[in-house]
Amino acid sequence: MEPKPEPSPSPLIRVADMTKIYHNGAGPIEVLRQVDLEIYPGEMVAVMGPSGSGKSTLLYILGLLQAPTSGSYFWEDTDVLTLDRSQQAEFRRRRLGFVFQACDLLENSTVYENLEFPLIYEGVDKKERPPRIREALERVNLGHRLYHSSNLLSGGERQRVAVARALVNRPQLILADEPTGQLDRRHGHLIMEHFEEIIAGGDTSVVVVTHDPEIAARCTRVCPMEDGVLRGLRQ
Amino acid sequence: MRLDDLVRISLRQVIRHRRRYIGVVLAIAVGVAGFISIITMGQDVKRNFNEDLAFIGGVTIIRNVLELRPQLPLNRFHPDTVQAIQRIPGVYVASLVGLTRTKGEWQGQVEEYSVVAVDDNFWKMRGLQALTGALFDKKQVEERQRLAVLGTRLAQSLFGTDKVEGRTLELGRDIYKIIGVVGGLRDINLDKSVFVPLTTAMDRFGRQLAVDRLYVRCLTWDDVPSVAAAIPGVVQAHQSAQNLLVEVSWENLEHVKRVAFWVEFFIYLAFAATLILGGMGIWNIMMAAVRTRTREIGLKKAMGAEDRDILAQFLTEALCLSCAAALVGVALGRVLVELLSIWIGMRPPEELFFTCLAFSLIFAVLLGVGAGLYPSLQAARMEVVSATRYE
Repeated sequence: MEPKPEPSPSPLIRVADMTKIYHNGAGPIEVLRQVDLEIYPGEMVAVMGPSGSGKSTLLYILGLLQAPTSGSYFWEDTDVLTLDRSQQAEFRRRRLGFVFQACDLLENSTVYENLEFPLIYEGVDKKERPPRIREALERVNLGHRLYHSSNLLSGGERQRVAVARALVNRPQLILADEPTGQLDRRHGHLIMEHFEEIIAGGDTSVVVVTHDPEIAARCTRVCPMEDGVLRGLRQ
Repeated sequence: MRLDDLVRISLRQVIRHRRRYIGVVLAIAVGVAGFISIITMGQDVKRNFNEDLAFIGGVTIIRNVLELRPQLPLNRFHPDTVQAIQRIPGVYVASLVGLTRTKGEWQGQVEEYSVVAVDDNFWKMRGLQALTGALFDKKQVEERQRLAVLGTRLAQSLFGTDKVEGRTLELGRDIYKIIGVVGGLRDINLDKSVFVPLTTAMDRFGRQLAVDRLYVRCLTWDDVPSVAAAIPGVVQAHQSAQNLLVEVSWENLEHVKRVAFWVEFFIYLAFAATLILGGMGIWNIMMAAVRTRTREIGLKKAMGAEDRDILAQFLTEALCLSCAAALVGVALGRVLVELLSIWIGMRPPEELFFTCLAFSLIFAVLLGVGAGLYPSLQAARMEVVSATRYE
C-alpha cells in the first residue's frame, strides 16, 4: 500500500464544545458532553467506545441528521448549524456519504438503482450516471454486480455496495456507523481496505464509529469516547 | 428531483408491489367503469325505456286534441303545424291521427268498423311492430294506397287467424287490401280497429273523418314538460289554437320519474361507495407503505433527498395507482358501453365517451392527491434518525 498522504493543516470540520441532551420521562440524559473534534482532509478517524457512549449520536450530528443541544460545528468556514432543512439536505448530498451498520440497501432494487439515487437527488444528468456508478462499484471491486438484485447479494457484498453508494457523489466526508458490525472478520477487513484506498486520494475523509479495537487500529487516528466525552483534537 | 426520474421511480415502485395494490386498483376501476357506462349510456337507456311504452305507461306521449266546441268552427291540424311541432327540441316523433266509424259488408252481413287513420309515424310513436305481414310506410301513405292493417282482436274476430296478409276488407264502398296485423296494442278499442293511411282516409271519408288528434312523443320523460309548454305557442303560430287541449299524464310521468330517479340514485350511490372505498384503500395502503418503508425514507434522506422529494415520490406513487385504476376503469367502461350499445341497439355519441374519459382522469388525479397527500406528508416529515433506526 502507498504511504498515507500528510493531511493538510486546515481542518475540514471543526466541532467545539458540543453537547446533546435527550429528554425522556426519567429526566434529561446527556449523551454528548463538551465534545471537541477536528477532521482533516484525507484522514480516517475512528471514534471508538462502548455501546451507549454516544458515538452514533455524534455521527448523526456530523451528518446533519440530528441537531446538537449546544456547541458549534463548522465545515471549512461554514457554520452548518445555521443551515435550514433544505440546505442541510443539499449539504448532505454534495459533501457527505453514509455507510450504516445494517447494510441498508433499498430492497427489491438492483445495485445500479441503489447507486443511482444519490445522483438523482443531486440532479446529475442521466448520461453521466452509468460511468459514475461503474466507477464507484469498481472501487469496491463489484463492477460485475451492476444489475444484480440487492436482495441476492451476500452481507459483505451489500456493505461494499453501501460503500460504493456513499462514494458515488464524490463526497468530502464519509460517515460510517459500525460498518463492519455485521460482517465476518475477512469482510470487515475488506471494507477497511476500501476505506484506506478512498482516503489515499487525499480528497475524502472517513469517520468510522466502532467498538472494535482491531478496526480502529487501521485508522489514521483514534478518538476514544466514553460517557459522551470525546477528545478529538489532533495532538 | 427531475420529473422523468420521479415518474420512473414511482411507476417502478408501483409495478414491483403490484400484488399489494391490485385490490384497490380494481375497486376504483369498477367504480370508474360504472360511472362511464351510466353517463355515456344513460340517455340512450332512457330512450330505450321510452320505446317500451308498456314499461313506462306511455308517459312521454303528449296528446293534443282540437276539441269540438259549439261556439268555435271545426278545426284540423295543418300539415305545417305538424312539421313545426316535429322540430321542437326534445320531440322524438309527432303523428297525426283521425278517427271515424264506417260500415262494410262482410260475409253477407253489414259490420261497423272503428277506423283509425294514421300516418307512417304512428307506429314509431306508439312503438308498435307488425305481428304478421307489414305496417304501411311513408311511401304508401304518400301514394294514398288503399291498404289496411288490422288490430289483433279484429283479425281474430273476422278471420279467426292473425295471418290475414293479402286478404281484402270492405270499408264504406271501397275495398282495402290487408297488409298485416299490428301487435302490442294494449288499448282494447284500438285492438278492435282497422288502421288505414291518413291520406287515403281523408280522400275517402272527407268531413266524416275528424283529424283532430296529434300525438307527440318526446325523446325522454325529462323533455315532456318543456315540449308540452312549447306546443300551444307553436300551434298558434300556424293556425287557430283556441280549442287546443294539451294532455299529459303528469301523474304517471312523475311516478316513472320518481322510480327512475331512485334507481339511478342507488346505482350512483353504489359506484360512489366503490370509489370512496377505493380512495380509502389508497390512503390505507399508502400509510402502510410509509410504515413499511420507514428505513428506506431515512436512507433516502441521508442520501440527500429533501422533504419535497419524499413527498413528491409518495404522492406520485398514489397518483400512479389512481391513474392506473382510472385507465383500467376507462377500458372496462368502454367494453361495457360497447356491450350495452349492442344490447339496446343504440350508439351514444363518441365525444360523450371522451368527455367521460377526461373526467375520469381528472377524478383519478383528485383521488390520488386527496388520498395520497396525508401519507406523503407523513413520509416527508419523518425524522431521519428515527427512520434509519426503525426496525
